[in-house]
Amino acid sequence: MTQAWVLGQRALREAWRTPEALLPTLFIPLFFLVVNVGQAARIFPSKSTSFLHGQGYGAFQLPSSLLLAASFGSAALFLVEEIEGGYFDKLRATPIPRTAIVLGRLISEGVKGVFMASALVVLGLIFGIRIASGPLGFVLLVGLAALWAVVFSGFMQAIALKTRSAAATNSAGLIFFPLLFLTPNFVPRNLLTRPMEIAATVNPVTYVMEALRSLILEDLVWSKILYGFGVATALGVVMLALNVRLIRHYD
Amino acid sequence: MAKVQSSGATAAVQAEGLVKHYATKKEVIEAVRGVDLRVETGEVFGFLGPNGAGKSTTVRMLTTLLSITSGSAFVAGVDVARDPDEARRRMGVALQEAGLDARQTGRELLVLQGRLFDMSPSDASARADELLALVELEEAADRRIKGYSGGMKRRLDLASALVHEPDVLFLDEPTTGLDPASRLTVWDELRRINTRGTTIFLTTQYLEEADQLCDRIAIIDGGLIVREGTPAQLKAELRERRGLATDPTLDDVFLDATGRTRVAGDVQEVSR
Repeated sequence: MTQAWVLGQRALREAWRTPEALLPTLFIPLFFLVVNVGQAARIFPSKSTSFLHGQGYGAFQLPSSLLLAASFGSAALFLVEEIEGGYFDKLRATPIPRTAIVLGRLISEGVKGVFMASALVVLGLIFGIRIASGPLGFVLLVGLAALWAVVFSGFMQAIALKTRSAAATNSAGLIFFPLLFLTPNFVPRNLLTRPMEIAATVNPVTYVMEALRSLILEDLVWSKILYGFGVATALGVVMLALNVRLIRHYD
Repeated sequence: MAKVQSSGATAAVQAEGLVKHYATKKEVIEAVRGVDLRVETGEVFGFLGPNGAGKSTTVRMLTTLLSITSGSAFVAGVDVARDPDEARRRMGVALQEAGLDARQTGRELLVLQGRLFDMSPSDASARADELLALVELEEAADRRIKGYSGGMKRRLDLASALVHEPDVLFLDEPTTGLDPASRLTVWDELRRINTRGTTIFLTTQYLEEADQLCDRIAIIDGGLIVREGTPAQLKAELRERRGLATDPTLDDVFLDATGRTRVAGDVQEVSR
């Protein structure tokens, strides 16, 4: 674990030194938040829309932006760069567990996820969004968003290890957009058309989004929160196992 | 060069019947077809061959970076397939195109390397200082690697391969792409490292480099070793076999061994 943390610190230094890779991950989700609220806020006035629990439409949309920010991790692209440049082989030639090599970058994505989610939520607070579940809810909100950052980075890293191609890794990242739009992104699940409702129900991102949303709009609703954390943790375990398998068989 | 231990002792590098096959959808490519090697402790061993001959594939198998299809390989007496982590502790590796993390500083890279070899933060830091002095990069130590010249990157790569004081140092084309002055600096470093007792296994495209640095060389072609011996032995063998009036160069040995010949200044392949 020490070696994974040492590699995680290196990845954090790398992120700090490449703000050009970091800033769009904050800017684009904010852009989507502003545009989505601008387009739909008048359709859903807070006073007459029960699913907003008295808040504005921005509060309903914030989870989408949190998930979007968490899915923009640069770990996999830096990994491809390292594979192409030869440093990855240098790491593989050290006697550290293969798990540490993949965990290092995931740890860093988790830490970055905490900072990105905190920044987005604080910006939301400035613009009048309230975290109805209180300080504990804030911690859980940021924690779940960061956990999702680890999960999605794990997915991207697996693609990077399998394809060793920046183009393929970049393209794989785009899968998040259909996944995001097949969630109750604009309205709750019970208001979706039947086909969309089915698609959202089988989409794991839905449960993470619903947990994040409940933390913003409601008091601590543990059934939704645990569902969200459960789905993210299960996917995280699958991604980590996949990464470890790929690096162990990497030739 | 450092004193070479007799062949009775454990070899620094030993390979027997080393084979690597790559399976594609259409065919099986035999990159290495049965390499036998023995490198004695303290030697500088040169591994030569034309592009695609199997040099890098062999080195990657010996350094645990590539799985072995069949055969066996030992580094400092450790089986690289059975105990890769222990083998990694015994060897230093600097591959083609200095594999460095350009966003770190030279010092950060060396300290990290030390930490990955189980050193404490203070030991890793002290070792980084030592190595930066050895490769004369003290002044540039706290600059990002992306600003280093090709020669500086090579020297830093060498230093990072030496962090844990390995028994055997593997270098894959350590001077490719360097200007003549930087190449001479790297040669000096290698001589110094070898004098301290480290066995050096290097691949190179430059025959002059092999002639200058290596105690013994092996030439690989088509995945098989086609010549092995000291540069002097190989030249003498060619002179005798061809009945030449003057001593051939290592270039002539290489061309003869790989089935190529000089015609009007060009190098052409001939049928064997």
